Amino acid sequence: MEISGYGSVLSYTTLMVAPEGFKPPLHIAVVELPGGARIFCHGKETRALKIGRRVAIEQVDGVFYFASLGLADRLALFWKRRGAAPERTKDAVKSAVKRFFSTYQNGGVPPPTEDGPQTSEEEKTVPPAEKS
Amino acid sequence: MRDVWIAAAAMTRFGRRSETLVDLMAEAALEALRGAECQPSALVVTAMAPEEFVGEGNFASHVGTYLGLSHVPAIRVETATSSGAAALYAGFALIASGFHNHVLVLGGEKMTHVSTPRVSEIISRVIDPHERSYGATMPALAAIVARAALAKGLIAETDMAHVAVKNHANGARNPYAHFQRPVTLEEVMSSRMIADPLRLQHCCPISDGAAAILLTSHPTGLKLAGMGQGGDYLAVRYRSSLTGFRATQDAAKAAYKMAGFGPERVQVAEIHDAFAPFEILALEDTGLLPPGKAAKAIQNGELTLEGRLPVNPSGGLKARGHALAATGLAQVVELAWQLTGRAVGRQVNARVGLAHSIGGMATNNWVTLVEQVA
Repeated sequence: MEISGYGSVLSYTTLMVAPEGFKPPLHIAVVELPGGARIFCHGKETRALKIGRRVAIEQVDGVFYFASLGLADRLALFWKRRGAAPERTKDAVKSAVKRFFSTYQNGGVPPPTEDGPQTSEEEKTVPPAEKS
Repeated sequence: MRDVWIAAAAMTRFGRRSETLVDLMAEAALEALRGAECQPSALVVTAMAPEEFVGEGNFASHVGTYLGLSHVPAIRVETATSSGAAALYAGFALIASGFHNHVLVLGGEKMTHVSTPRVSEIISRVIDPHERSYGATMPALAAIVARAALAKGLIAETDMAHVAVKNHANGARNPYAHFQRPVTLEEVMSSRMIADPLRLQHCCPISDGAAAILLTSHPTGLKLAGMGQGGDYLAVRYRSSLTGFRATQDAAKAAYKMAGFGPERVQVAEIHDAFAPFEILALEDTGLLPPGKAAKAIQNGELTLEGRLPVNPSGGLKARGHALAATGLAQVVELAWQLTGRAVGRQVNARVGLAHSIGGMATNNWVTLVEQVA
């Protein structure tokens, strides 16, 4: 299946008791892709997730993975959207400001996205599910 | 269509039982048949996965023979975790249609002798293959539903805990319950996390048990007033809403239509609280409480034995236990006892009761209405 690289979170959970073939904690998100297809995917953590938030989606060896989108990714997505340019810019700035504050409130860690995309190599190389 | 009546209702104690599955089913069946004025001319048997749990097949005949009813025609019905309600429906249809006058409906499950991961794997087979391939278990899907409901503000974490506390308080007064001890709010909210946001004390146990109901065309005063079934996509991700179950809504509508009355007449309910948030969602899906009011009702104590609408007087799946195919029948057994004044220690004052059963992750749900007539 060809996928567009991002989608929005419908819901998510972290399993602390995983079924055979998986290791806890097992992070699962339900994501809707542009066009309406909905998939389950694995990820590195669900701590930063929120329902309705956009995440990056990547398929590795037939398994879907989600990762939080960084500032640059968000800007690019906003820019790709239809609509007047000022509107898009406003949305993009709003999103960036919201993210800045929510990151500060959630544990006081400075936002890591100021100087580049957050979808770093580290996040993208989540190991494939430990399926037996 | 003929009216269908309950002639007798019986169940075993739920819990960790040492007897075999057929022994448990015989215990419930013989108790139901003891003193009954009629003998069944048909047998409807249900067990969700006896092939896997106890290694037995041809199960309807197996049970019939064990009961000494080898010459009574027997069928087996299965709709995952709502199998008990589905079997009751099959028995209901056999009588309403005029095919039979007396039908024994019998359900049971025996699981506690199997390791928990294995039980979990067997139950997980009811889940959509894509979702299962990502490690989705029943608690995982329930957590996904709960997370969505929390985000929408329909429920709060304390509401989920209150459901478990109430149902354990009821179970403590039910000698047939798996858990006959109360739990505190703190105990629930600090129990270990299973699938965020669901903790151990939000989840029902793995139980053994059996239940039996003898149905008849002869008026007994206890009427099976209405039964409805609803279906939905196997895949949870394609539901139009994650915070309510369409299968429950459709089942409730069908049951009320058949009974000729609405939720306003229901005075006691047995709800499928396999996971605590499901009780809150089901109360709204069945129309027993208006949208957005269920969480408030649990906070205000309206659903306790002394409340306006007692919910899960048996203790529910959480405390009475969840012996899969026996559960849907055990709910109706509890209603039968409540409506005839035989629910010792937990009796409520009611003439109309509702039972709600979820099959799989709400793919095959049932609502049953029982009425004490005259």
